[in-house]
Amino acid sequence: MAAVTQPRSAYLTRWFILALLAAYTFYNLGPILWLLVSSFKGRADLFAMPPVWIFDIDTSGYESVFGVGAAAGTASAYGVVDALINSVVVSSIGTVMAVFLGTLAGYVCSRYDFRGKGDFLFFVLSTRMLPPVAVLVFYHLMFARLGLADTRTGLVLVAIFANVGLATWIMKGFFDGVPKEVEQIAQVNGYSRMYAFIRLVVPMVRGGIAATAGFCFIFAWNEFAFASILTTTKAKTLPVKISAASGATGIEWTQIMSAGVVLIIPVLIFFYLIRKHLLMGMTFGVLGRS
Amino acid sequence: MTVTDQSQQPTATKRRSAATDKKKSSGRMMILGFLSPTLLILIFMVAYPIISLIDYSFYNFSALNPHEGYKWAGLDNYTYLLSDKALWQRFIFTGKFVFVCVSLQMIIGIFVGYQLQKKFKGRDVIFTLLMMPMMLSPVVVGFLWRYMLNSEWGVVNYLISSVGLDKVSWLSQTTPALFAAAAADTWMWTPFIILLATAAFRGIPDTIYEAAEVDGASAAYKFFRLTLPMSAPVLFIALILRLIDSFKQYDLFFALTGGGPGSSTETVSFAVAKTAFNYFYTGEASALAVILLFIIIGLSMILVRHLNKMGDKY
Amino acid sequence: MKISTRLLSTTSALAMVLLGTSAQAETELTFVWHAGTCADALVDIAKDYPDKSVKIVPALVPYGPEWHNKIASEFAIQGDGFDFAMWDSQSTAEFAGGGHAVKLNDIFASSDVLSADLFPAASISQYGEYPDNSGDFYGLPMNQDAYGMMYRSDLFEDPAEMAAFKEKYGRELTVPQTYQEAAEVAEFFTRPDEGLYGWGQMGGREYDFATTASNSFLWSFGGELYNPETYEVQGYLNSPASIDGVQAYVDMFKFAPPGSGSWGFDEVNAAFQQGQLAMAMQWFYFNGSNADPSVNKFADGTSFGILPGAVGRDGLFRRQFSVGGQGMGINKYSKKLPELTKFMEWYFQPEQQKRYAAVCQTGLKSVLESDDWQSLNSYNAQFSTALQYLNDYWHLPQYPVLLDQLQEEISNAITGTKTVEEALTDAAKRHERTLERAGYEITRSDSTPEVPDQEITPVGTKEIIKVN
Repeated sequence: MAAVTQPRSAYLTRWFILALLAAYTFYNLGPILWLLVSSFKGRADLFAMPPVWIFDIDTSGYESVFGVGAAAGTASAYGVVDALINSVVVSSIGTVMAVFLGTLAGYVCSRYDFRGKGDFLFFVLSTRMLPPVAVLVFYHLMFARLGLADTRTGLVLVAIFANVGLATWIMKGFFDGVPKEVEQIAQVNGYSRMYAFIRLVVPMVRGGIAATAGFCFIFAWNEFAFASILTTTKAKTLPVKISAASGATGIEWTQIMSAGVVLIIPVLIFFYLIRKHLLMGMTFGVLGRS
Repeated sequence: MTVTDQSQQPTATKRRSAATDKKKSSGRMMILGFLSPTLLILIFMVAYPIISLIDYSFYNFSALNPHEGYKWAGLDNYTYLLSDKALWQRFIFTGKFVFVCVSLQMIIGIFVGYQLQKKFKGRDVIFTLLMMPMMLSPVVVGFLWRYMLNSEWGVVNYLISSVGLDKVSWLSQTTPALFAAAAADTWMWTPFIILLATAAFRGIPDTIYEAAEVDGASAAYKFFRLTLPMSAPVLFIALILRLIDSFKQYDLFFALTGGGPGSSTETVSFAVAKTAFNYFYTGEASALAVILLFIIIGLSMILVRHLNKMGDKY
Repeated sequence: MKISTRLLSTTSALAMVLLGTSAQAETELTFVWHAGTCADALVDIAKDYPDKSVKIVPALVPYGPEWHNKIASEFAIQGDGFDFAMWDSQSTAEFAGGGHAVKLNDIFASSDVLSADLFPAASISQYGEYPDNSGDFYGLPMNQDAYGMMYRSDLFEDPAEMAAFKEKYGRELTVPQTYQEAAEVAEFFTRPDEGLYGWGQMGGREYDFATTASNSFLWSFGGELYNPETYEVQGYLNSPASIDGVQAYVDMFKFAPPGSGSWGFDEVNAAFQQGQLAMAMQWFYFNGSNADPSVNKFADGTSFGILPGAVGRDGLFRRQFSVGGQGMGINKYSKKLPELTKFMEWYFQPEQQKRYAAVCQTGLKSVLESDDWQSLNSYNAQFSTALQYLNDYWHLPQYPVLLDQLQEEISNAITGTKTVEEALTDAAKRHERTLERAGYEITRSDSTPEVPDQEITPVGTKEIIKVN
């Protein structure tokens, strides 16, 4: 009996699971596809009902994002390149610093037991609990007093503080996955703890560093709340720049959609390069080795 | 500071020697050296603002009109806020939103992550593509969903009406707006759960499943009795992170509904933003932020304690 | 390690190269404004400023709360992140009241070119005077705007439609002069199965979307927001005439696309451009693009006009609608006031303002009154007529709070969670609480008027004054 029905129900289950996966993929990728299509639509086509699939390709959105073509010289195009540079500088330095600090803190939390470790880890996590809106006024005042208003340095500080907690937790997990015998063997052979950390342990968690950097980069690259208030012209980042996309006829949808496509590309490439590492050992160490 | 070097544990039972004392002090140096930069930056960027927030919350003043002075208000800001029915409504709405978002994201994320742990052709590419919503700039996400959810020309209503259902006015009614915002938040952040869940599932050694199969365990048994409990700590961290983040959500509502209709889709964080930057009631906004912060910290503490217990178990 | 070291050194090298690029030798005058045609026009015109060492730098923000927040947060830290800013007329009270804006009377006194007389008296008062009637100015009418109406003249002139309308309503199909007429015309054109609706208006909770629209109804029916003498809000905001007005506004949603209760300016434009609306309330600001065939599919059949008025419960006719646009204010903490004054002396010359007026609405009297400008397109002449019907909300520093509270209650009335009367009464109570908290003394009168406009700067007339 069981031998007869089981293949049939397994077959049904399999199709049911596939259907659910297909539905999720549609939900996940549909809006991305719609974003891509819409980024090439002029205003008249954007609001056509039913939606049009064949339309004149309108690249004005991309021209506006890069401040070229028809958009060259307009107020909206002003400072696009600067904003791009600001975004690259702030998010890459911020990511590197956050991952660096997170690696150090994560290692110590993984290898040592010390008084207040739990409190430290919780405090580090609490950086994510602070609603940006709650401290924006304060930051703005503080940054102005320190001469950090509208500077990249200020935004880099924000990027570090916003990501170091996440980096510490994830890196601790990766270090937990490295056998403790590594350091023991190094010490038996007369190497210092520091040498073992730099030369042996860190290379073993390269993948983890890449994955952590991926997360931090996403958050730093897309950070909006702080950047919109703390910058005016000089340190404005790309997401802040593109959010100001209103024009003669209302909201510049084409430009916003194009900016979305442009902004996602660097992150997408980064993720594709680190995809193998992402699936290795991302377990925060709670499970031990993976 | 009591330092225990875990790599020394095999020898921990031995008598103390001069050599281990030296190791210990080098360990202390390492802890200090490795933690202090992070600690310093966090004290500067987090502890200091929080202390100032608490200080500000006892005053009645506006950062925009400093000449009106700092009036000592004691607990007035707190009593004013906590006696305001509208605030409780915002907490309820925020709670509903967090509940819908987090449960949807966890269920979908675990399900998809479970399927993706199996190796198949093109998995890496599909995996990377599925991460895209998380990578998209949140500013664009707000606009994109507002565009797609428009009652007249939105593609969502187009799909709904093309299968013969009635169009829904997503953004101008409270409950549809709640689900619309939850759909957008879920769309964006389920990939985060998928990523963590897949990694967690892949961390479970095959030998455990093999042993279960020898005993003739069903697929459901394997999932509920082996996979879920063994990956629970990671899933729990994912849950905490999503809980914290969705509690703070407000820009999605700015973009989709502006908090309307009425103020029915205003989250607590939304109210903080409005009070702080639109009204410029700095004292009151600080008090509201302190209340919000305490709730988030309290919730996280409970969850982290659970997490630690779980860590002890496995 | 190798990876991270290399990454670190590459990034820091890159950073050094990039950080060194932004050297400036010139004077930069930075302005904050929402992005759009008018900001583009300002930047474009400024390129021809004879003094080439001065550069006008835009710091654009989205239309909406970020715009106000950006300016306000810079003022809060007394920073000189920008030198001048275009802010909404009602913000003048907030920023001037906080002592952050430069008093322009001093500039008028010392400048040979700039003076208050360059602008229509009503305009400079709307955009720059604080407190009301004090003669102290903190803003110049940089970009004037008014609520207007656009309609599909191809439908209005269609003989079949005209005949059908006459048969149904017993009068000619004309562009409505009153909201009572507008409701009939809107009802006539509302045909959901054809994808056509009679009326489009904003009802969104964001910023001032619902309020600017509903206020236009409220004032036209004889209502008022408050009594500026006694600071009474109860009895004024929820007076019978005010309720009539907001009720008429809420009722118009019956002839608007379902779901339009959350719309802002962009949605109204989009719907009109797709031919979904026979009439729509919209700012004059957008007329240029709605007359553009590449944007509006029905541009050829689109006409622009002045919003209707209403016959109130006292039998008097009033036509009042919201002022839009922005005044230009100067940041008191700017260190470049002399350079900025020179630029303004050049920029507010008729030559520059004529160029500006080709795409946006100038505040310069000599250009507004010139035949060249009035005959430039179909709506400029109407715009100068419209200026006399403008009204604005509270010129009080507490306006962001009052606005948000009224937005919320109007929104409640639109969705029907409260009746109009309940919503306005709640709004009035909350307004009084806000004012009292801010230290205003509210003087209570024994009775409040049924039609508050009769007491506060009355505008009612016995006859319907026709425009369009």
